Amino acid sequence: METTLVETETATYGNTSLCYQCAKCSSGCPVSEEMDILPHQVIHLASLGLEDRVLYTDTIWICANCYACAVKCPNDIDITGVMNSLKQKALDKGITPRRPEVCTFHKVFANDIYRRGKVHELWIMGEYNLRMRKPFKNMMLAPRMFLKNKLKLRPPREVRGFRGWLKKILSRKR
Amino acid sequence: MTPIERNDVRRHKREKGMMKDQKIALYPGCSLETSSSHYLQSLEKVFELLEVEYTIMNDWNCCGATSVKSIDQDMNLMLNQRNLALAEQQGITELVVPCASCYHRLVSTSWELQQDPDRRQWVNQQTGLTYRGDVKVRNILDFLYNLVGLEKIGQKVQRPLEGLTVACYYGCLNTRVPKSETFDVMEYPMSMDRIAQVLGAHVVDWSYKTDCCGASLFLTMDNISERLVGKILRDASLRGVDCIAVSCPMCQTNLDTKQAHIRDEFEIQKPLPSPFITQLMGLAFGCRPEEVGLDKNFETLELLP
Repeated sequence: METTLVETETATYGNTSLCYQCAKCSSGCPVSEEMDILPHQVIHLASLGLEDRVLYTDTIWICANCYACAVKCPNDIDITGVMNSLKQKALDKGITPRRPEVCTFHKVFANDIYRRGKVHELWIMGEYNLRMRKPFKNMMLAPRMFLKNKLKLRPPREVRGFRGWLKKILSRKR
Repeated sequence: MTPIERNDVRRHKREKGMMKDQKIALYPGCSLETSSSHYLQSLEKVFELLEVEYTIMNDWNCCGATSVKSIDQDMNLMLNQRNLALAEQQGITELVVPCASCYHRLVSTSWELQQDPDRRQWVNQQTGLTYRGDVKVRNILDFLYNLVGLEKIGQKVQRPLEGLTVACYYGCLNTRVPKSETFDVMEYPMSMDRIAQVLGAHVVDWSYKTDCCGASLFLTMDNISERLVGKILRDASLRGVDCIAVSCPMCQTNLDTKQAHIRDEFEIQKPLPSPFITQLMGLAFGCRPEEVGLDKNFETLELLP
């Protein structure tokens, strides 16, 4: 089994090896009952370097990013940040996410930002539904949203200079 | 002593009042332009009545919300650094952010870049923009409570919201920011409650003030987000409130649009409107409901005669 240290000592996420398993994070987590392993177990596995074990869990994808865990941690570990970094790591390694719907949504959302610098909510809902092959999901809401002028058919205008800016960044990345 | 008396936001200090050399700008965020246009409408009306001198920030981009930081952490930093750097270039000192998600992204990025000089240098290089750290990112509640001040808000009240019982709901991201950046108590904030009190409303103590509504799972795992919304609504309804005041557009959409389906399941007796705090302010300042976009809320707020 591969053992690499996962974000153990970074200025951003705090030092996961400081965790003494008090489980405050897990007891405060609003979505813990849906998870296969609990947040404090994720931190434990991460600090042991058992990356492979955490990357295949439902937990990292179920995390709602509410930061309840991070603000409760007595050792200032940004557990939410670790969860996000694990999601990215799983994707980088080509691991199929245990909750593909969450991953698809994030990708659709991010790609829409890259188009013009702002999101077009209707497009995101549509593209997400099509990719998940559930074209009518949440469609009950759409008519009322339209009537109340809360959904716009036209996408927002491109943010001035955004695409050029992004292009430069992406070219540097390569 | 009730928690309301004990937990005074004043302990969570911050410079008070507006200064001459401050340049205030609003960062609206994507949702205020579309699904929560009524938030922007009420905000602009309230700022006008409070005589706040402000501009809307130019050329801002989306903060990336929960999505970008989940799959691309570097891009998340760069998107937000672009906003901060442009704000700095535009001479903005106070960047007022109404959306809790945008606020969380911007304030966390600003903090992260200050914490880690190497990272900051790297991001500056990547984006081709320099951010020195001169922009103060302000949550809308921080701005209203600390900069505008309760006194000024109180002076503008023409039609006090007497007889209205309100549960103030902050949601998760408004207060859960890096410790040095907090403007209110993380677990039991009071700034919105104080504002509602000044408007003449009666506020209640309740248990779900800062609990997550699951808005980031709104489209993906509706069962989870419905359960979270249900718990919030049920607790508020058991306390006999007329409405839940919110300041986050995600929370508002989630509480407002989901509740018709789940009211029976969670035994919630009557509809619970969730107006923005700025909409309540507008009403108390004497605006007609349409002027602050109340006609755009799904559950309508019935005001007493």
